[in-house]
Amino acid sequence: MITSLLSVLIFIALALAVIGAVRRARLWRQGQANPVDIIGGLLKMPRRYLVDLHHVVARDKAMSNTHVATAGGFVASAVLIVLVHLFELDSRILAWALLLTTATMFTGAIFVYRRRIDPPSRLSKGPWMRLPKSLLVFAASFFVLTLPAAGILPEGAGGWLLAVVLTAGIVWGMGEMFFGMTWGGPMKHAFAGALHLAFHRRAERFEDGVGRSTGLKAIDLTAAKLGVEKPADFKWNQLLGFDACVQCGRCEAACPAFAAGQPLNPKKLIQDMVVGLAGGTDVNYAGSPYPGKPIGEHGGNAHSPIVKGLVDAETLWSCTTCRACVEECPMMIEHVDAIVDMRRFLTLEKGATPNKGPEVLENLIATDNPGGFEPGSRMHWAADLSIPVLADVKQTEVLFWVGDGGFDMRNQRTLRSFVKLLKAAKVQFAVLAHEERDSGDVARRLGDEATFQQLAKRNIKTLSQYGFKRIVTCDPHSFHVLKNEYGELGGHYEVLHHTTYLNELVQSGALQVSKHQGGSVTYHDPCYLGRYNGEYEAPRELLRSLGIEVKEMERSGFRSRCCGGGGGAPITDIPGKQRIPDMRMDDARATGAEIVAVGCPQCTAMLEGVVEPRPEIKDIAELLVAALVEVDEPAGQKSTGQKAAVQTAEPVKMAAASKAAAAKTGEPA
Amino acid sequence: MSDIIRRDPRREWILRNRLHPLHASLAAPQDQWMGPNGVLRKNPHAVGFIGPNGIKRIDRSGSQTGDGGSVRRSGAAEVQLPVFRVEQPAFYVVVVPDMVGGRLSSHDKDVLGLAHQLVKQSSAARGEQGAVLAVVFGAHKESAFDTAGVDRLLHLDDSKYTGYAPEQRLNVLTSLERTLEVSQWLLPDSLEGGGDLGRRLAAKLKQRPATQAWALAEGLVTCRAAGQREDWQRPASRILLMANECAEPVSETRHEVKPLLEELARQLELPALISRIEDKGQVAVDPSAVPLGEAEFILSAGNGIRDFALFHDAAKALRATEGASRVAVDNGDMPRFRQVGATGTWVTARVYLAVGISGAVQHLQGIGQCDKVIAINTDAGCDMVKRADLSVIADSTDMLAALIKLVEGYRGAEEGEEDAA
Amino acid sequence: MQPEMQSSELNVSVLLSVGAHPKTARSRRADQDAKALELALSLPKARVAAIHAGDAGDEALRQYLGMGLPALQVLPQPKEADVVPVLVDYLRQHPATLVLTGGKAEQGESSGMLPYLLAQELGWPVVPRVAAVESVGNGKAAVLQALPRGQRRALTVSLPCVLCIDEAAPAPRQSAFALGQRGKIEVLSAAVTTDSERADWTVQPARKRPKRLKVVKAKTAADRFKAATAKASGDGGQVIVPKTVEEGAEAILKMLKEEGVLR
Repeated sequence: MITSLLSVLIFIALALAVIGAVRRARLWRQGQANPVDIIGGLLKMPRRYLVDLHHVVARDKAMSNTHVATAGGFVASAVLIVLVHLFELDSRILAWALLLTTATMFTGAIFVYRRRIDPPSRLSKGPWMRLPKSLLVFAASFFVLTLPAAGILPEGAGGWLLAVVLTAGIVWGMGEMFFGMTWGGPMKHAFAGALHLAFHRRAERFEDGVGRSTGLKAIDLTAAKLGVEKPADFKWNQLLGFDACVQCGRCEAACPAFAAGQPLNPKKLIQDMVVGLAGGTDVNYAGSPYPGKPIGEHGGNAHSPIVKGLVDAETLWSCTTCRACVEECPMMIEHVDAIVDMRRFLTLEKGATPNKGPEVLENLIATDNPGGFEPGSRMHWAADLSIPVLADVKQTEVLFWVGDGGFDMRNQRTLRSFVKLLKAAKVQFAVLAHEERDSGDVARRLGDEATFQQLAKRNIKTLSQYGFKRIVTCDPHSFHVLKNEYGELGGHYEVLHHTTYLNELVQSGALQVSKHQGGSVTYHDPCYLGRYNGEYEAPRELLRSLGIEVKEMERSGFRSRCCGGGGGAPITDIPGKQRIPDMRMDDARATGAEIVAVGCPQCTAMLEGVVEPRPEIKDIAELLVAALVEVDEPAGQKSTGQKAAVQTAEPVKMAAASKAAAAKTGEPA
Repeated sequence: MSDIIRRDPRREWILRNRLHPLHASLAAPQDQWMGPNGVLRKNPHAVGFIGPNGIKRIDRSGSQTGDGGSVRRSGAAEVQLPVFRVEQPAFYVVVVPDMVGGRLSSHDKDVLGLAHQLVKQSSAARGEQGAVLAVVFGAHKESAFDTAGVDRLLHLDDSKYTGYAPEQRLNVLTSLERTLEVSQWLLPDSLEGGGDLGRRLAAKLKQRPATQAWALAEGLVTCRAAGQREDWQRPASRILLMANECAEPVSETRHEVKPLLEELARQLELPALISRIEDKGQVAVDPSAVPLGEAEFILSAGNGIRDFALFHDAAKALRATEGASRVAVDNGDMPRFRQVGATGTWVTARVYLAVGISGAVQHLQGIGQCDKVIAINTDAGCDMVKRADLSVIADSTDMLAALIKLVEGYRGAEEGEEDAA
Repeated sequence: MQPEMQSSELNVSVLLSVGAHPKTARSRRADQDAKALELALSLPKARVAAIHAGDAGDEALRQYLGMGLPALQVLPQPKEADVVPVLVDYLRQHPATLVLTGGKAEQGESSGMLPYLLAQELGWPVVPRVAAVESVGNGKAAVLQALPRGQRRALTVSLPCVLCIDEAAPAPRQSAFALGQRGKIEVLSAAVTTDSERADWTVQPARKRPKRLKVVKAKTAADRFKAATAKASGDGGQVIVPKTVEEGAEAILKMLKEEGVLR
């Protein structure tokens, strides 16, 4: 009796799941068209899951194993359940296999259960607290149910009582696992997540090697609506991505704005988009709210405006675009893309950039720099350095992209240091001088795609007039934009951050450096160099070559915390409980370092804005200049830098010693 | 010291007698001496004295050699300038000074200086004497019209001209245009009223004025145009709206300041006027409501302030607009719109009083246009002290409290004085 | 009832010029004109018509449209034209209760005469330096006039009138790119009066005006000597380490009095 009932139940659950899936897919299809390779994507999906997604999940070893056991057990069980109990294939092997998979699943589910006993605050509660129990019930019910098929128990053992209990267990288990998967239960993450991996908007992220796709995507400025106003204005696969959210809260734990008490929580934002997608309010959300904003007051649907309905504008403007959430997200959700899409609507359609935003954008339009400085004063910092200008020399090896830091008195020290290093290394370089414009980074992240494209196109036009091999810049933001975002508009360049380039020079021996004199050093990874472009090693190697053993902060490398200066956050200036740079400086203080090495003008400005006493902030170029061994060529004896180095033996020894030291310190790491 | 010149006959006699043993000591400064190689050296500058009209005089009679110093020097500030007399003006250069606060502003004086130059030039060219006529509306407190270069004064003290009354004032000016021979109209192109009245006059008389003019030479006037980006040079027009510092003020003559009213009253018939603009009086503006960029006097708070209630009290007592450094804003002690600096507001205050601000580069950039910077800081080595014109090294709380007390005392004394007067 | 009727019929014409950025001379929405438009758009129940006399093709006009204007009327005029007659014609044909302008153009002569000439031709009153319009009704407008250093004066003006909006007026709203692109620029036909007087004037980039030195007209040699040898001010300020706080406060008060900021 129970077997026939079981078939029916499984059939109903699967049918309902299919209906739910179709309904869910129709919700996603409310979004805008974005062609994807359906078959190819589905074929690549398992690999993306097993390699790319697992790579992120595996950062938490215990959780990773738990998930492998539970999810793996469930997927295998589901297939086997269909074979054994729906199609009633009479195979001992299959039954035994099913026993094994449900047991595995049960074991995994025990760990899930244990984690839910006292869950960390980043995890959502609500239905998610039910999930481990559902998993246990599902696994246990099918385990017991399969025992007769495996021949361990006789048919009909346990009598009607067991039959009723099992039926209840099956209904509960399948309700959660099959019905809930497509009708909005916690298990939705598996269904939407798998499809999101297949149809991800940034397929490049999953390419072999260092798959990386961090540049924002351009929009057509002649479209009928610019940016995203309503949930339905997102691309359909973005909506699918939101729906994949598993509410693990890793993004929340990484978000600097959330930690600073600004009204942003990436997890809640994604959940609000899900609410918008399906229609309703956020009352059922069971995680941490946006700091300072109670739950239950926001709602909307796919065709009502997001801002003031689903979320408040401050939430969107709190983001520093540091990408920490994206880096941490096991479901590969692109939070920053979504935020910038919504900002675009606010800026381009509403003219509602907050605080200093409009002023900065107007300055960019009128003077090509965010500060509104006279463009002619762009090179005043280098008045006495006689740097070749590309307009005169036309051709150069290295184009030094100065960036807007040229207007800032603090950053000018960095720039001058870098020029000194270039000269010491006898690099042939030139600058664009007054032909240079802001790269468009800030404009784009403030949502002003029009100004970005204008600046970018004009920069690309300028660059196309000259010959150069590579662009080197001290500004990771310019670096990222030139390298990753100009391509879509027709500008393809080899761009290097100055630390990468300086490291090349030092490793090749073109630059001779002695040991660093001074206090201990920690290194702050700029988001736009690290997470955006994967350059964690060059600055560290450079510091090692100075004989510095970097005292790493707790959050460093890909987990580095933002300085608070990205994405126009200092311009939009949304108040929080504390300031992001203060928090970051606390991280630095905790290492006991006396110097914070940086590689970004924004980071320099933000960290130097922290009230003293605090560690000193120095750009790596400044540290390098302090330790530079200047090789004086004897008069009348023309020789290459290499030869000259041999003649002055002392510095070489020191340089060699520091290299040896670097090698030593480098090996264990 | 008494201004009465007292003669000392014995001293004068010694000074005349070069052979007197005391002559050398009294006849200082020495105007000649024996040089090291036997040549007699003379100091040409030590000879003579400055006459009453500023010209050097050499009196070889000896009566004044080396004398007068002690007596005249005290009277030097009150040198009687020669009077520039105009008996029967054949034409007028009319100036309408702004009279900010009832006194001639420096801008007014510059315009009067230019008017005087124009009168001299035109008089020479026309062969007849002209005069500078100043038209002053409402009550005034000015006592130095003579040294500012006013030959004739038309003072209209009727209450209908006080406050903002451009129509009434224009009515007077157009009557003057009809009754007098006005060769040129000169007004300060200021925000205090001159710019407005001048433009009204130009529109009314259908004469194209020179605006924001800052140089006048050989019949050509140079005007700032295109939003301060260009200089337009053009023939001088009859109505000149002059910018600040367009000419040197009068300094070498005194003028008669003869009232014009009597001789003109009969002719000056003002047509009836229906006023369409009504002055409802100045609105009391709280200094704290003045936009930071416009404020004249800013009291700015930095990280060194512990007692913000005291700071607000001090701002109130000083009637200063409040500013803040970035740190004070970031700490939540002051609102964001109060932030001064490159990333906040660029300020143009006449006095910037920075309390407990160490002076980050961005902050110093933001106060670059302030005339005077006063710093109160405990750290004498900080950048703000280096920038400041006056720095007081002291604790902010004590200083603010002392300042409040002192200012309140000063205000009380001043009000008492005003009441007495 | 009456004032409501009137305010519902409030026709506001804003005259907009193309500005130039002070540092780059790049064309932009003129600052004061944008403030005038902002003021017009924020007046309750106002029907706002925006007029530009000049080049209809100037991209900077889109920045005005980006403030939320559905359309902008352009009276095409060449650079050397006198725009007063054509604007007077336009305003006679399209009667308005309020005409808002900026105080001075950022290009051309920048004489600030245009509102006065319009008012003279139309026989309307004109009020310069308006910072706010408080109310319009009963044939009168109550406005606040900006005085230097943030002070304000209340005025009432009879309607119709010309108001020149000052720097001190509220900042204009942000110009939204998309609205600017979609807004319409309606080109009207207009006669051209050439400003011939201007033809022979010479125009050159603004020379830096020399800062006036403190010329001491010394009456005596001693004064001259003092003037010539007096320590040039500006090289480092005075630093006081006061023995008592009162001493420090006195020093500060003295400077405040010297500068005349103590009111």
